[in-house]
Amino acid sequence: MKSPTATKAASSDISTAGPAPKGLRPDGRGGRRIRRQLPTSPWLFAAPGLVIVAVFILYPFLSTLNNAFTDKRTLIPGEYVGLANFRELLHDDMFWIGLRNSTLYVLVVVPALVLLPLLLAMLVQKHIPGITFFRSAFYTPVVASIVVVGLIWVWMLDERGLVNAVLEAVGVGKVGFLSDQWLLLFSAMAVTVWKGLGYYMIIYLAALANVPRELHEAAAVDGAGAVRRFFSVTVPAVRSTMVLVGALSSVAAFKVFSEVYLMAGPTGGPAGEDTTLVMLVQRVGTGLTGRVGYASAISVVVFVVTVALMLLVLRADRKEDA
Amino acid sequence: MRISRIPRRAVAAGAVLAVLLPLSACGDGDEGGSTDASGKIEGKITFQTWNLKANFKPYFEGLVDEFEKKYPGTEVHWVDQPGEGYADKISADAAAGTLPDVVNVSPDLVAPLAKAGIAMDLDKAAGKYEKEYLPGAWKSHQIPGTEGTYAFPWYLNTGPLFYNKRLFKDAGLDADKPPKTYDQLFDDALKLAKKSDGKVATLANVPTIEDFGRYGVPLMDKEGTGFSFNDAKGVELLTKYKELYDAKALDGQALTATPESTGKKFLTEAVAMNPGSALDLEKFKKDAPTLYKNIGITPQISSTGKDNMYVMGVMVNARTKQTPAAVAFAHFVTDAQHQMEFAKKVAIFPSTQGSLDDPYFTKQDGKEETRVRVAAAKSIKTAVNYTPVLFSEQMKVELRNAVARALQGKESPKEALDNAVKNCDRLLKTS
Repeated sequence: MKSPTATKAASSDISTAGPAPKGLRPDGRGGRRIRRQLPTSPWLFAAPGLVIVAVFILYPFLSTLNNAFTDKRTLIPGEYVGLANFRELLHDDMFWIGLRNSTLYVLVVVPALVLLPLLLAMLVQKHIPGITFFRSAFYTPVVASIVVVGLIWVWMLDERGLVNAVLEAVGVGKVGFLSDQWLLLFSAMAVTVWKGLGYYMIIYLAALANVPRELHEAAAVDGAGAVRRFFSVTVPAVRSTMVLVGALSSVAAFKVFSEVYLMAGPTGGPAGEDTTLVMLVQRVGTGLTGRVGYASAISVVVFVVTVALMLLVLRADRKEDA
Repeated sequence: MRISRIPRRAVAAGAVLAVLLPLSACGDGDEGGSTDASGKIEGKITFQTWNLKANFKPYFEGLVDEFEKKYPGTEVHWVDQPGEGYADKISADAAAGTLPDVVNVSPDLVAPLAKAGIAMDLDKAAGKYEKEYLPGAWKSHQIPGTEGTYAFPWYLNTGPLFYNKRLFKDAGLDADKPPKTYDQLFDDALKLAKKSDGKVATLANVPTIEDFGRYGVPLMDKEGTGFSFNDAKGVELLTKYKELYDAKALDGQALTATPESTGKKFLTEAVAMNPGSALDLEKFKKDAPTLYKNIGITPQISSTGKDNMYVMGVMVNARTKQTPAAVAFAHFVTDAQHQMEFAKKVAIFPSTQGSLDDPYFTKQDGKEETRVRVAAAKSIKTAVNYTPVLFSEQMKVELRNAVARALQGKESPKEALDNAVKNCDRLLKTS
């Protein structure tokens, strides 16, 4: 007589319940097969994304690296020239001007974009009537097209523009925002900061929402004023966000193109003195006579510097943590 | 085949290669067609123009219909590209091997294409048509250092110089006697700046390669191996411009000006002179009626007695698979009849023999537009395309930057031009 347990086991045996489903054979081989096929499946799911990355990121990146060591031109494949492009860069005045301007952009724009959006976020964080309007207003430049923004500022800063009209009315006289080498560069920086404020403000708003109110209250009870609370409570609480903003804005600032191109014109300001590295890549590497190999070498320099900037910021963050 | 037996790394590598290898073939192109245009005119071709659809769509659609009707079995697909970045679009297409069969080009665009073997030599493929065109126009698409002619000449253009009579009068100048040579221009500009206390400039743009040409500066050697605009005459021109800049006779923003910004300054009466075309008169009438009342029209400033002329051409892609149809269509677009029809729709001048003797270009009817057209048609017979065909966009930037350095006083005119020539020669060798 079969025990009740044995009967239950027999009734649940798949070998007695008709033909086994395909791939699930009772000898267990089907099970192993499933396990062996499983690792392929994630690759199939990831394939569309991987193809896009390969075509639009990996291939252009490897191609640029490869081209940097050739004298390739737009219509001529070129030959390998070793480090000749990089040696030429060392003697190219325009490259050094571009490097100077891009570096200066980082040094001026990044501190402004780390601090000003934080102050702005603290202002609009308060729940007062009409604050939504101000939040939206500060965010508007972020969604505006950079071309439109550039044109508006060119009109405003023109010799006959609004800003000069105001300066003339108050007795300062006309200022050559678009004709002086340095004023032009700093005007472009101001536009970059103005356009980026809203974007980083939103990031800071999210970070500030996570700062415990009790910390501020405790500090206030201990007699800390607004400035002290800012440095002792707010800044430590959003420090990792400040690092993130610093990293993002420094990479963006080093790769600046649109603002300077729109305000300084295709030549890069008077005598090209406002050219940035990315503008130089565009100028040298495009068109029917473009020097693709040389422009790629400049692009490699831009890549190396931006990676170095990221590492520098992250390393500084790690040191703070330690 | 069981996928599980194939190493995963091999699958991944295969996938990457499957994606990358076809891409790496980009630019190889199809060596394609020949210069034999004697076969039957048939097949599908693509025709690309440069910023013409917005204003001349009916004309070009009619042109295509007429060609297809004349040659049954042909099909022309017309594409029009924006003017902005046109050279980049052509270079991308040429590098990818997807350049259309027939392409609207200017001589400076055709030069690199000819050197790369992408523009068809029309001396070989269509030499029989040469006599239909003005000799100078046919030669305009010949490239120093290469043999052959690489595009059919299409329309020619020159433009008058507009000036503001009121500003001239206010400065005590005779508004009916505008400057004609560079020396007269410099004198008048300095007087105008002095009288207006530097508030009114005469010009809003720095000198370009065409200015050097019209001043009588030799721009390049005949073999096309080097530039020469740094000679004594070139230095003299730049020295004069520096005087204008220092006296505010040249607009303060001239160093970063674009044609659009200089046009706007003339429109707002901030500068007294600006080059333009007959089309601009309508714009002045509509956008600046006060200026229109005081508008003066004079030929281009030239110390050589010859105006500058802009040339447009129609190139046949050397890799076309439909050589007879492509050559026939390029000729069809540029023949005397169709150039004349196009000229009557827009202020351009035909490059075909005898067309400029048409009453349309010789008879006055009292209208201001006609006066401009007749004067321009007269000057175009002797005009010169001063821009060397080998003078690329990068070289234009080099010259412009050199001029800016000289005007700012960072370099002497001689130093600036020597450096510009050195850099342009270097670019010439690598182009």
